Formats: sequence, C-alpha cells, structure tokens
Amino acid sequence: MSLAVRLRGISKRFGAVRALESVDLDVEAGTLHALVGENGAGKTTLMRVLYGAIQPDAGSIEVEGRARRFRSSREAIEAGIGMVSQHYSILPQLTCLQNLMLGAEPGAWIAEGAAVARAEELAARMGFRFDWHADASTLSPAGAQKLEILKLLWRSARILILDEPTAMLSPADSDALFESLAQLRSEGATVILVTHRLPEVMDHAERVTVLRGGRRVASMPVADTDARGLAELIVGHTLERASAEPPGSLGEELLAVQGLVVAGYRGDDAVRGADLAVRAGEIVGIAGVDGSGQRELFQAVLGVARAKAGVVRLFGEDASKWPPSRRLEAGLRLIPEDRHEEGVIDEWPLLENAALGLQRVPPLRRGGGLDPGVQRDVAERAARAFDTKHGGLRLPMASLSGGNQQRFVAGRALQLGPRLLLAFQPARGLDIEATRRVYDAIRTLCREGGAAALVVSFDLDELLEHCDRLVAMRSGRIFEPPPERAKDRAEIGRLMVGAA
Amino acid sequence: MLWVLLVGTVTLASPLILAAMGGYVSERGGIVNIALEGKMLAACAATSLVGFATGSVLWSLAAGIASATALAWSHWLLTQKFRVDAVVSGMALNALAFGATNFFDKRFTDPTHIGEMPRLPLGAYQALAFALPLLLAYGVRRTRAGVRLMASGSDPDKARQMGVEPVAVRFWAQTVTGLLCGLAGAMIVTNAGRFVDNMTAGRGFIALAALILGGWRPVQVGLACLFFGFAEALQLVLQGTDLMGAKIPSEAWSSLPYLATIVALAGFAGKSRAPAGLGKV
Amino acid sequence: MRLRVALVSVAALLLVVGALVLSGVPPTEALAELARGAFGSKSAWAGTLRETTPLLLAGLAVFLALRAGLFNIGVEGQLVVGAMASVAVCLAVPGAAGVVLGTLAGVAAGALWALPAGLIKAYRNGHEVITTIMLNGVANFLSTALVAGPLKDPSQQSPTTRLLDASTRIPDLYSAPPFRVNLGLVAGLVLIAATAWWLRRTVAGFELRATGANLRAAEFAGVPVRRVMLWSMVASGAIGGLAGALQALAYEGRFYAGFSPGYGFDSLGVAILAGASPFGLLPSALAFGALAKGSTSIQILGVPKGLSYVILGLLIVVFAVVRYRREGARD
Repeated sequence: MSLAVRLRGISKRFGAVRALESVDLDVEAGTLHALVGENGAGKTTLMRVLYGAIQPDAGSIEVEGRARRFRSSREAIEAGIGMVSQHYSILPQLTCLQNLMLGAEPGAWIAEGAAVARAEELAARMGFRFDWHADASTLSPAGAQKLEILKLLWRSARILILDEPTAMLSPADSDALFESLAQLRSEGATVILVTHRLPEVMDHAERVTVLRGGRRVASMPVADTDARGLAELIVGHTLERASAEPPGSLGEELLAVQGLVVAGYRGDDAVRGADLAVRAGEIVGIAGVDGSGQRELFQAVLGVARAKAGVVRLFGEDASKWPPSRRLEAGLRLIPEDRHEEGVIDEWPLLENAALGLQRVPPLRRGGGLDPGVQRDVAERAARAFDTKHGGLRLPMASLSGGNQQRFVAGRALQLGPRLLLAFQPARGLDIEATRRVYDAIRTLCREGGAAALVVSFDLDELLEHCDRLVAMRSGRIFEPPPERAKDRAEIGRLMVGAA
Repeated sequence: MLWVLLVGTVTLASPLILAAMGGYVSERGGIVNIALEGKMLAACAATSLVGFATGSVLWSLAAGIASATALAWSHWLLTQKFRVDAVVSGMALNALAFGATNFFDKRFTDPTHIGEMPRLPLGAYQALAFALPLLLAYGVRRTRAGVRLMASGSDPDKARQMGVEPVAVRFWAQTVTGLLCGLAGAMIVTNAGRFVDNMTAGRGFIALAALILGGWRPVQVGLACLFFGFAEALQLVLQGTDLMGAKIPSEAWSSLPYLATIVALAGFAGKSRAPAGLGKV
Repeated sequence: MRLRVALVSVAALLLVVGALVLSGVPPTEALAELARGAFGSKSAWAGTLRETTPLLLAGLAVFLALRAGLFNIGVEGQLVVGAMASVAVCLAVPGAAGVVLGTLAGVAAGALWALPAGLIKAYRNGHEVITTIMLNGVANFLSTALVAGPLKDPSQQSPTTRLLDASTRIPDLYSAPPFRVNLGLVAGLVLIAATAWWLRRTVAGFELRATGANLRAAEFAGVPVRRVMLWSMVASGAIGGLAGALQALAYEGRFYAGFSPGYGFDSLGVAILAGASPFGLLPSALAFGALAKGSTSIQILGVPKGLSYVILGLLIVVFAVVRYRREGARD
C-alpha cells in the first residue's frame, strides 16, 4: 500500500526541552493510525509539525509521495491535510454554516443556497445532520466534533488528524464518530488519531505508534499487541527510583470530598461524583490525563468554583458553604495551575505578591491592616525557600523568569501555617533539583508540621517518586487502587486510561 | 401633533442609528468604542467648515467622513498596535475631538458671514439610516467580510487558527465605523444648519447604549435607536404640557431613555450578548 | 516600545505647535502666556488652585474606581447631585451645622448615584461605562429640573438657587486677596494622603488593588471580588459627591444649571495621568487646573479654548501608550 504520510527524523526543541527527538512515522493511505503516549510525550507537537503549525528543527516530511516543507498551516491545508485540535476551534457565536466556511468562504458574497447545498452534501456523506443556521453554541460536544470534521472535508482534506477527539464525547457518540471515520476511510481518506484511550485504539485502529519522552518507542499493527502491552509501552519500564519513606502514623482527616459534582466550562459536568479523603501527614497524588476534572476539583476545594452537589469537609468541619477567604484563613494553601492568571500579579512587586492569598491570615493581617514587618518577612522567606533569583523584593513579578516565579509561588504556599496544600503541577518549569527540593519541603511540612498535601501532576513518574499514595482521576471520577497497590505504576496507569 | 412626533422621531433617530451601526461594526469586530461621540462631533465640524468654505456638498461630506475616519484609524492604531486600553483611547479621542472642533470652529468660522451651508436632503440620510440595520443584518451573514468580522470579535485566537487575521479585519471595521459616524455627524449638522460647540450632546453615548440594549444585533439596535429618538421627540413635543393637571418638567421625559437603559442593563442578568472577544487581541 | 512612545510624543507635540501656528500665534508666546495665566501672579495662582480643588477630589474618585478596575465615568453626575444635595440641605439648615450636614448629604447623594452602576457591574455584569453615562444624563436632567423648579431662587431670571449665607460656606483657610486657599483644597489633600495609606496598608485596600490588577488571581487569593467592585464604585461616587459639595459650599455658594463645566470628564484625564499612586493626582490635577485657568488667558490672544482639550487628549494618549498597555502586551 502507498504511504499517505512519511516522516523521517523529526526533531524539535523548545528552549531547553527536547519535545521531539528524531521521530519517524509511516501512515498508510486509507488506514486509521493511532498515535499514543503520555501527556508531554510529543504526540501533539508531532502532529502540529505535520500540520505546518510548527516548523521542525530537523527531519523530512513526505505527503502522498511528495517531499513537503510547510511554512504554515495554510500550506498544509492546501496539501490536503486537516487537523482538529483538542480544544475545538468552533466559534460559538457564529452559525454552524459560518463556522464551516470561516477562512475558506466560497467568495466575497456568500450564495447561501449553494453553500448550504454543499454543506448538506458533505454532511449526508457522513450521515450527519445539522441545523446550518443555528448558533454553534447550541451544539453538543459531539456536534462540535462532527462540525470540526466537516470543516476538514469542506477544505477538501484527505489526511485527517484528530487530537483526542473523544475526550469530551459520551461512549455512544464516540462509537458514532468511529463509524463516520470508517465511512471516510472507505472513500479513501487517511486518519491519524491522537488518543490516550487504549480501548479505542484496540477497537478501531489498524496500526499504532507509541511515543515516550519525545521518542518513538514502538510502531506496530494493532493486532500484534493488547491494551496491557500498550500501557506498559506508554508508561515505560523506567528505573526504580528511591521512593520516599512511607509516613508513620497518619493524623486526623484534613480534607474529605464526598459525592462532589462540579460544572465544567462547557456546561457539562467536569467532576462527576468524586470521593476523596486526605489525612494529616500524607502526600496524595492525583494521576490522570489533562482534563479529567483535576482543575475543577481543586477549584471546588478552594471555593472559587461552585459545587453542584456533594460535600467538602476541611479540617473536620463542613466547609461547603465557606467562601475562599475563610478556607485560606483556616490553613488551605494553593499552588495554582495557571500561575500567570491565578497565582501572581505581574506588575506588582514581589513584596506585594507575597501577601496575595495570605492577606487575611494573621499575623500578616493585624486588625484591618497588613503588618509591613510580617509582610517583608513572608516575602523574604517565600523567596528564600527555593532560592528564587530576584533583583530585590520591590521589583515587579514580571521581572522574574517563569521558573523563578514558580519557586516564589511554591515558597509562598508554605508560609503562615499551612495545613492543607493543594499543588497543581508544583514543579512546572523547574529542573530536577528544584523539583526535588519543592517536594522535600512539602514532605517536611506534612511529616513534621502535621499538614497534608494533594498534588496534581500529569507526570506519573514525578508522582510515584514523591507522593505517599496515588489515586487516579478519569472522566470526573476518582479511582482509588487497593492500598497495597497505591504506588503500583501499572495499576495506576490502568486506572488512568480505563484499560481492563 | 402626532405627525410632528413621527417626523421628529425619524429625524432624531437617524443619526443615532448611523452611529450605533458604526459602533456595531467596531464592537462586532472586537474593539470597544466609546469614541462614537468624538467621531460624530469631528464630522459635524468638518462638514460645516468645509461646506461653508467650498460651497460643495461633496467636499463637505468628504471632509466630515475623513475627519471621523481619521479618529477611527487612530483608535485602531492605539488599541491594536500600541495596545492601549480601548476605553482610555476612546476617552482621549473624545477629548481631542471636543477640543479640536472648538478650536477649528473658533479659528475659521466667520461669525459675520451669512450664508447657507450646502446640504444633502435629510431624506437621504434617513433612508440610509433605516436601510442600514437590515443591510448589516444581511451582510454579516452573507458576505465573507461579515463572517470574518463576527469571527474576529467572537474569538480572535480561534479566528486566527482558521486563517483570519483579526487585526486586519478590525482595520476595515474601524474604517466603516469612521464612515458611518461621519455620516451621522454630517446629518446632525445638516439638520441644524451650522456647527455649534458640542452639538452632538452625548448622542454618541446614547448610540452606544442602544447598541448594548439591542444586544449587538443590528435590527434590535435600530429599534432601540428609534426608542431613544422617540423619547427625544416626545420631550420636544410635550415640553411644558400638563399631564392630568400636574406640570411635568420636560426633563422627566428626557430622562426616560436613560432610565430605561439602566433598567434594561439591570435586568440583563449576567449573560450578555456581547461579542465574546471584545477587547481581546 | 520606546520608539512608539517617542513617535507618539513627537506627533502630539507637532499637533499642538501646528494648531498654535494655525491660530497665528507664535507657539512660544502662546505657551508663555498659558504659563503666565496659570502661575504668573498671585491671582493667577489663586485661580489655578480654585480650578484644581474639584479636580483633585473628582480625580481621586475616578482613581479609586480605576484601581479596582472600574471606569467611573459617572463622577460628573455624582459631583452634580452631590453639589445639589449639599446646597439643598444648606438652604434649609444654615450655619456650621448646615455645612456639616450639607457635606454629608453631598457624600451620600454621590454614593447613591453610583450605587446602581456598582450593583449592575458586580451582579449583572453590565458595563459601568454605559450605566454611569446614563446616570450622568439623569443627574443632569434632574438637577436642571429641580433648579428650575422647587430649588429656584424666585428673584432670579436664570435657573439657580439662592446664594448661601456666608456663615453656611466653607471658609478660606488663608485669605490675602487676591490669593486664597480654601479648606476644600486641604480636605482634598488630606483625603488623598488617607487613600494612599488605606490602599497600601489595609487588607481592604490590598484586596481592592488586587481586584483591579488581576481579577482572577484576586478571586483565587480569596478576595470577594464582586463585593469589592460594588463598594469601590460606591466609595468612588461618595468622593465624587464630596467634590461637588465642597465646590458648592466653598467656592460657588449656590447651585445652578450647568454647575459643572465638565469636572467629571477632566477628572478622568487627571486620574489616568496620575498613574499608579494617589500622590500622582497632585501634579496631574494641578496641570489640569493650570490648563483650565491658563487657557482663558490665551483666549485673549485669539487661541480658542478648545486647544486645552486638544492638549488634554494628547496627554492622555501619550501617557496611555507609556502606561496603560493592556495585559498581555509583554513584548
């Protein structure tokens, strides 16, 4: 069979990070080829290279037998490649028809009748139905996904890249999607499926390529492997690392989440009945792929997202109705996911940023005022905790590099008597040494300070190395492994991806 | 009296519609525009001054449109290229227009000169004003430019992903805003006969309120403008009349559209129909 | 970046010089006259300070809201209702008691006038720029109606209230005519210093600034952002009302139709020019006061007073390009 896509030796670095290292990929025309790997394995980067959105540092691209060098997505689209990203590019305020055409309108004047006719024809081919004049905001996630695929067809794409297309779909909608993909392939289209869901790969793909740490570790017909084998390839047989000594006896329950339901930004529920308990002295890691509900869980525990149902108990009390300020005063601390949007104020000096989130915590708050002495003290300690390199506490946060900002934010979370630390990727942007120091400090806090920590990371190895026990989060639910397997890589990996 | 009311409503609403449609194009493209007032005022002065100086309708109208467009382009430059906050930029341009119109009027108008400013018939403006909401409602759906305008104001990042360049789209949007505000100003001065200091008297802000009240939808915005025009006409007609024996000050009638706007905003409850990408680059 | 600032500054300067040349007045002479009119004599100084007083307080009102991330364009209306309420009370209650009650009434009226805008912003997400502009309109009509009706001095042709008794006025602190410094100016200075302290040293001030600087980060830091937005708008209105009350009770001594020649709008420029610190309001209000006073002098030379607004607009543009770049502009 002929190759639709042939990539050779694709390499790409972002700063110091090697995102891709000499990756090869062969995709046969008319097949469904799955690309799997952990978060950060390089799947999306590789696909963005093929789509022309990223220029590789090295390597060659052949599409349908012709050597190509794409300088932009526009050129890739002209070569017949289309990509649906994980975060849809549907504009909710436009109609379905307008979304379909945007960027590839038939002319300056849009003959609506002709446009609808062509849209109907494309939809009919796929067995889709659309109300073309309805706002795209009325689309369900499945409808949006279908429209994205039609957008590719509208642009006459022959090679379709779908990045985690089922992430927001129900099982029934996923099945329907794969039926339409089969229909497309029968008409000669090629599909590259980026996914973390192994059952999908087993059921629908012809070949699978596994990436890990920016390298291709395997590529084979799906018939030659099974979900368990793939899971092992994805996670890898990494070296056994020295694991932290287990905690002695655990103390009281500091956090208990029961039956928590939280709405996601699209209106569907992101957390769907989560249960979790964290006790003094332990570090609990939440493993899971991005978008499994970790974000909304944290926000509900902090109180900035409203829980639709369920209970959040903090420090032995029902805190469901507490505003965030009261939770922070009681000793909750946060290392937020999006430091820039949620954690710091760029134009403020470090001195002021040090008080952010602690402003109501005594002794920083004295009466209705901020104690300048304590504030300076907090700022100095926050900066010293992980050796934040800065030119003075009066300089704005924006003058620091991202890594140093992260050190400062992590250091701040340890100030003024934390009792429960919520850390969302606390080591983001930090090197190995700094990562270890951050976790060591968290461990000291938990072991000696009687506090507890709940950590989210997309790096399973990081969690296995530093946490006392792990739980997995998938589709808004929390899955706890049996206690004796709380740090079993294979077990956690299975819970994360939902493989049997 | 009913006839007077009707004619008054149409005449007073027309410049509001023209300006509000200018605001519509700007904000649908994603740029907040509180400088409709300044653009209209600049157009009033330029139309009047050049009209008296040249005696040509064409030149006077061109000058009015050019002055408003120059301000619109400044707004584009400041907000899109220099990334100045659109409200600050709008404020500055309003002040600039207020000062510059006063300056040019005082400097170049000969108070002893008696003559007629050449004018287009008001009906031309009125016809355009009443056709425009329908044209725009149709145009944003049925033209490439319209779809890309909506996309730029809805989510510039996603629009960019689809190969649309929002900053460029917005340049043309601002040009249209300038053109329409220019026509609005020209109509006001045509109706009045000559330029008077600050003669727009807040109409640009009323147009903006109509834009919000109409939920950024052209026909509804046009209707909101009609409502404001009607309230203004009513005030002129009812000035000093009695209502059931009590003398209602005309100001009570004048306040009506303002109060209605506040009540409408209070009732909106969270979800607004504003372009989602308003203010995003 | 620097290049842009330079370009904008040069363009602005050229515009002003060009305008002066157009007026047939040598630019240097015009600017000298402007300075003379504002600072050239004791009476010039007195006039400049008089113009500065309401701008100082109204500027502080805008400034406070701006720190919370809100554009209070309604200071004009808040100032007008504040002035009217204070005069109405003082007409009924003469003497020192009237001054105190009248000032409080002005503060309350201003706060009340900002309340709908605050509520709609915080709980209905309705843009404060529109609501405050509408409230300005209503304030304008209401005050015009009242001063032409119930509050009108029957002995006067024009719509104005009676002149307040001298004992019901805020006294000059220092008076050596033509030079005078009114207590109102001092009140403005004290309030600015107090606000600066409050913003820097109190939890509430900290939370207000956090809300304005990064709404989401503030929310994650436990700041009740909606309540902060509501109360900063109300506080801003109260200060605006105070500005009107002091202007009425210190300088004007009465309320009349067209009481404010646009103090509320000038104060927007004052606050934007002031930058991040309340103390920036001092030079900024003085500059606007001087511009207002000086422009009357150059009018005699034949330069229309509109020039001062041109300068104002250009100043805002130049400063905005330097300072008010939107978030995300990190190049």
